[in-house]
Amino acid sequence: MAEHPPYDPPRWANKLLEWFCCPDHLEMLQGDLYELYQERVKNMGKNRARFYYIFDVVDLFRPFAINRDRNSPFSSLTLLENYFKVSYRNFLRQKVYSSINVAGLAIGLACFILIFLYIRDELSYDKFHTKHDRIYRLVEHFESEGVGEHSASQPFPVAHTLLTDFPGQVEEVVRLFNFQSPSLSLSNVAREREYNESRIFLVDSTFFKVFDFKLLQGDIRHALSEPNSILLTKSMVEKYFGNEEPMGKVLQFQGNQDLVVKGVLEDAPLNAHFQFDFLISFSTLYHLPNFHYKNNWYWNPCWTYILLNENNDTGLLASYFPGFIKKYFPEFISEDIKLELQPLADIHLKSKLDYEIQPNSNESNVYVFSAVAIFVLLIAAINFINLSTARATKRAKEVAVRKSLGSDKRQLVNQFIFESIFLTSLAVVIALVIVFFVIPYFNVLTEKAIGFSTLLDPGYVLFIVALTLAVGLVSGFYPAFVLSSFKPVKVLKSNHVPTGGLSFRKVLVVLQFSISMMLIIGTIVALNQLTLLQNDDIGFRKEHVVMVPVIRTPMAGHFMTYKHEALQHPGILSITAVEEIIGAKHQVGNYKFEGMDKSRPFPRLMLHHHFINTFDITVVAGRPYSEKFATDDSMALIVNEKLVKQMGWKSSQEAVGKAFSLGEGHHGGGKIIGVVKDFNFVSKHHPISPLVLDLNTIPYSFNLFIKYMAVRVHGNDLHASLDVLRSTWEKLMPERPFDYFFLDDRLNDSYRAEQKLSDVAGIFSFLAILVACLGLFGLATFATEQRSKEIGIRKVLGINNGQIMALLSRDFLILILIAFVISCPLAYVLLNQWLDGFAYRINIGLWPFVIAGMATFLVALLTICFHSMKAALVNPAMALKYE
Amino acid sequence: MKGTHLGEFEELVLLVIGVLKDNAYSISIKEELKSNTGRNPSIGALHSALNRLHEKGYITSHEGGATTERGGRRKRFYIITSTGKAAVTKSHELRSGLFKLIPGMS
Repeated sequence: MAEHPPYDPPRWANKLLEWFCCPDHLEMLQGDLYELYQERVKNMGKNRARFYYIFDVVDLFRPFAINRDRNSPFSSLTLLENYFKVSYRNFLRQKVYSSINVAGLAIGLACFILIFLYIRDELSYDKFHTKHDRIYRLVEHFESEGVGEHSASQPFPVAHTLLTDFPGQVEEVVRLFNFQSPSLSLSNVAREREYNESRIFLVDSTFFKVFDFKLLQGDIRHALSEPNSILLTKSMVEKYFGNEEPMGKVLQFQGNQDLVVKGVLEDAPLNAHFQFDFLISFSTLYHLPNFHYKNNWYWNPCWTYILLNENNDTGLLASYFPGFIKKYFPEFISEDIKLELQPLADIHLKSKLDYEIQPNSNESNVYVFSAVAIFVLLIAAINFINLSTARATKRAKEVAVRKSLGSDKRQLVNQFIFESIFLTSLAVVIALVIVFFVIPYFNVLTEKAIGFSTLLDPGYVLFIVALTLAVGLVSGFYPAFVLSSFKPVKVLKSNHVPTGGLSFRKVLVVLQFSISMMLIIGTIVALNQLTLLQNDDIGFRKEHVVMVPVIRTPMAGHFMTYKHEALQHPGILSITAVEEIIGAKHQVGNYKFEGMDKSRPFPRLMLHHHFINTFDITVVAGRPYSEKFATDDSMALIVNEKLVKQMGWKSSQEAVGKAFSLGEGHHGGGKIIGVVKDFNFVSKHHPISPLVLDLNTIPYSFNLFIKYMAVRVHGNDLHASLDVLRSTWEKLMPERPFDYFFLDDRLNDSYRAEQKLSDVAGIFSFLAILVACLGLFGLATFATEQRSKEIGIRKVLGINNGQIMALLSRDFLILILIAFVISCPLAYVLLNQWLDGFAYRINIGLWPFVIAGMATFLVALLTICFHSMKAALVNPAMALKYE
Repeated sequence: MKGTHLGEFEELVLLVIGVLKDNAYSISIKEELKSNTGRNPSIGALHSALNRLHEKGYITSHEGGATTERGGRRKRFYIITSTGKAAVTKSHELRSGLFKLIPGMS
């Protein structure tokens, strides 16, 4: 007897051994391991002994020890080899089918993987901030009777007042501010490098406490605490300093203020909803001359982010907002204001506010793309099933022989599932190769920077393996069961090949083509809608308008001179200055018109003389602003027809002469002097709302309001005109770089989400129909082959070629007709829903359906014709002799 | 056909079985190998070699009684057969013959 109780080896490892080991060796091996285990526990402790025990069990996975009995799980190990061999031979024997099968599936999978990567990237926005679930952006809704603005930004004092008033809820706040200016200038005077920068923000020193952006150089706690500090990203260091060390150096801001470099930032991750190149300490602002907005509760240019305390729900803080608004916002607007907390991670996909930092993506695109991805994969999988079942009938004899030789049904099922997984794996490998080569182009198309290496992540590898198995199993399942259920006697004796699954195949073909046609119809409609958004009449002329950012430049003092000099050139037709990009953005101002008891917010554009003729807007009543009337500047207003209608005035003529006052009502006022025809002053996602055009020519307006100079040039000689604009600028303001863009280019950017949608939908629907046709090609090959004898006999009896083709095509074309009938109403309903989201939408009409139907029909006909021709032209003797 | 070639590790195992005489079972063979050659084969590797020797007919085996240190399982003892002895002898002679032919080594 041993003097100690025996130790127990790990039971599961023992079970594993019992499972795979052959009974002849089991007792001896178990004994050996047990003995060794006891010894090892004494010598090296329990843990290491257990480890060795497990190691030894795994090590025993050797040929001599493995159970090869028929009923053990490893009998199939040898069979696996056989499965592989059979699969391989089959692949070679039916090269056309197999290649079509694999190629179709590979294309489908590649599409699926690409779109999957895209969607994942879209969903990952702003999630890299460790506190992202506690960060909210404060949104201000400022409107009365449906007119006003939904602003992503706030007045200056909101953030810190919230922090002091609600310390229990708010942990930290941070503001971002950029004068709402399209660009601001920076220069490294020593190296004579000066540029207009658009991704530049003034931010509170708490920036790094709220967000997780990284600082490569400098002290993250104090980098932004002093006024006149600037941080720049690594790529900007190169642009401004080359190889020089930037820390402590000076960059000149707006040509008059020196900022000290206090740190180098890592470039912002691309999946952050705002991108920056420079961060300037917020306190810098308070050192600017003439800056009076620190305690202004009306103007709302600060993007305000709030970090809530842990375990704090938004409801409580939100419930304080009404009281907060009443207490602090000016009385004349407080009734029209609502505040809302917007979760940080929702911004990229869901937010569509006025004054977003940069255009966001679109949630419905993500849905549409996911649907397309699944559709394409579905079509490819259907191909796979169809071709496999079709092929299967050819292998009926093989199955029958196998069965009579004693193969049981399970083994046959295994065999076919194995083949299916084998082909799927092949397709996955090809798909990955395709993805590898296509990803750069895909990134261009979607404006992303997805790397192939993302796919090497263990999670993805697992995902791809699971995908392979799933597709392999699902597409192998049906053929496996159809084939293995053939009755051997029937097949062998009667030479009758069961045409099993024919009707099932037909259903799948119909499904395939329904999806393809829906995709095509969808693409055509999306394209039409995009054309409508981009090209339809918008009420003003956006072509040949050069926009030059002028806010916070010395332009204020030079505008008259500039205008005078530039207009000498015949190519320059007219010059004005405006508050925002016409057709994209507007601001809001409070006005009180005759008949109103208090002021209300109205969309507003401040502008200079010659606005009406620069943008070619129609005046329907009254007159445009004119230099002849000195009173126009403060005592006159132009409004649009919509405003006239909303005020309930009977006609535009009647509106002229109505009185108005500004803001709270005691800041002057005057009369409406003109009414313009409605034009789309923001994108067509929104209907036209009332608008006020307000002349503001005081030079100070260039500091905060007037952001662009707009120049109408002659279309014939753009280069010469641009040269004039540039040289005049350089003559008057040599210290500031000249910058410009064309209005129509910028306006098309507003429809980028729709553009992307129609691009991606177009490409992937093309691929979908390609894959579907590949499948049809395969099926047609099969059908023709099967009927070669029938055709031979018919030929002998005098059928002509045309009749043969009709005979062979008819079956498939009927299926496509059914698919057409199914897809039309479905597509119509879905697309109508999508279009309802737009303020301006096309009528779907008949054409998309006709085109999609005709296109599919023709492509399918061509595919089938190839085979029918071949069958029709073959010598009947050949077909009949062939056994 | 399986050859009757004697592998290097197999030869060692065969020799050890000879050395251990009546007490040659897997664990003792493992111990003996470890103390005489410094090698420490895993149980899997050892049984794999024993299995091959058995297939080649160089050893036979018989089962012993159950023991507590093995959790009530029986041991299997190995005995070298006459073909086994012949194979070892042949291998030894081959080696020493060749060894003698190396100039300056005897």
